Amino acid sequence: MSNAIRLRVEGIGKVFTRRDKPSVEALRGIDMTVAEGEFVSIVGASGSGKSTLLRIVDGLIAPTGGRVLVDGREVDRPGPDRAMVFQQDSLLPWKTVVENVAYGLTLAGVAKADAHRTAQRFIDIAGLQGFEQHYPHQLSGGMRQRVNVARALAVDPKILLLDEPFAALDAQTREIMQTELLSIWQETRKTVLLITHQIDEAVFLSDRVIVFSARPGTIREEIPVPLPRPRSLHLKRSPEFVALVDRIWTLIEEEVRAGLKQG
Amino acid sequence: MRRLYEFLEQDTRAAGFARVALSTVLVLLIWQVVSMLVTNRLLLVPPAEVAVALAGEVEQGAMWTNAVATVTAVVTSFMVSVAIGVAVGLALASSRMLSLTGGPVLSALNSVPIIALAPLFIAWLGLGFASKFVLVIMVAVFPVVVTTEAGLRATDKQLVEAARSFNATPLQIFSTVTFPYALPFIVSGIRVAWARALVGIVVAEFFGSFAGFGFAILSASQTFDTARVLGYVIVLGAMGLAGSVLFAALERHLAPWRQE
Repeated sequence: MSNAIRLRVEGIGKVFTRRDKPSVEALRGIDMTVAEGEFVSIVGASGSGKSTLLRIVDGLIAPTGGRVLVDGREVDRPGPDRAMVFQQDSLLPWKTVVENVAYGLTLAGVAKADAHRTAQRFIDIAGLQGFEQHYPHQLSGGMRQRVNVARALAVDPKILLLDEPFAALDAQTREIMQTELLSIWQETRKTVLLITHQIDEAVFLSDRVIVFSARPGTIREEIPVPLPRPRSLHLKRSPEFVALVDRIWTLIEEEVRAGLKQG
Repeated sequence: MRRLYEFLEQDTRAAGFARVALSTVLVLLIWQVVSMLVTNRLLLVPPAEVAVALAGEVEQGAMWTNAVATVTAVVTSFMVSVAIGVAVGLALASSRMLSLTGGPVLSALNSVPIIALAPLFIAWLGLGFASKFVLVIMVAVFPVVVTTEAGLRATDKQLVEAARSFNATPLQIFSTVTFPYALPFIVSGIRVAWARALVGIVVAEFFGSFAGFGFAILSASQTFDTARVLGYVIVLGAMGLAGSVLFAALERHLAPWRQE
């Protein structure tokens, strides 16, 4: 893809300073870009700061160095051009599915009727028809994550940020959700930045996989994924796919082993 | 027998009523049996006599006078307690400094049996509404303060982060996340406050009033009219139960996700 640069991350570093404890350097010198309409994943051992980077891009936390640019404009707080899909349940338990999907819009001051109409469109895209009036606790984990994705898409962001969105799901549901995410992406053509610790998930979904080193997180390698689209789950059994996963795993393995020793 | 048992275990409205009816009948039965064994009518009277005494109070209009005095006093002071409790809880939850300095004072006050100060309040405020009002607030306000602060502090960080991610203002975070999350906590505090308010009103009326259920109970016991004493206690019990059922239902309604 030779599209314009949508997201640019320049020299991002993050040191967490804590009272009475040694400070922790989570990220160091992260430089990366994501093109318009591109699907990029970041993988790395736990503690590699990948989730921190996502929060910096969303504007939830401030970096200690460097800057984040969306379409050339520096961002320092959450904005309507970015939307995040969280790992755990972050749906409001007292709101129905349609109210949850409309949440970002109502916060932005969109009138209720309009917000619900827009929400309905993304409820349809996410395959949640018939569950509009359900409450989150009445849905399965997979369904709740669909609501989460629909809620992020409903505000029509330029960039969709996904923080291990399927980590809490069982293996089978996770695979189904991956294909559904791909079809949603195909339909909406959003720029996507995904964080995951599942290497096969990253390869299956992405145009490019960025491998992080362990603490402090730095970019170890960027690996393009030249596999054809549209992709189906059969792809996961192809030799090209397996070879890519294997290569990334080798890169991360050392870091994971080192992490195990540290406890 | 087995079918009856299964019916009573159900989670339906009918089964709920049946359970209440069953336990009421059981209590009345035990009461009847015990009052047949204890024949001193100064100590215990059978249910039927209590019912007669209650009917007599209604007929004479004493029930109405007392009910008006007690219910107006307890309901107004209860509502004011809830308002004050929520306001103080909000203040404590929003300021760490306030919570750290005010918290110990409040928990000290909360652990003192304020009810013991009733004679003092009456000395300060005289007989009548004002002393009842203040005493009820003093006993009922604390559970609301404590649960409001705890509820607001308990807020799911994940939900707040999601709201922030959608660019919510601090006020929006409060109104769409923090407060709805705390609401069921607050209602459970209100439920406790109602029970405490009833105790407060009775004690206040014992010490200083010319009308009300507490006053009626005290004067009946001074004339050894056990039937009337028990009659008014039952009326108070019914008020307590009604409040408890109402607020428990409200709690379930506000937080259905907690049950499942």
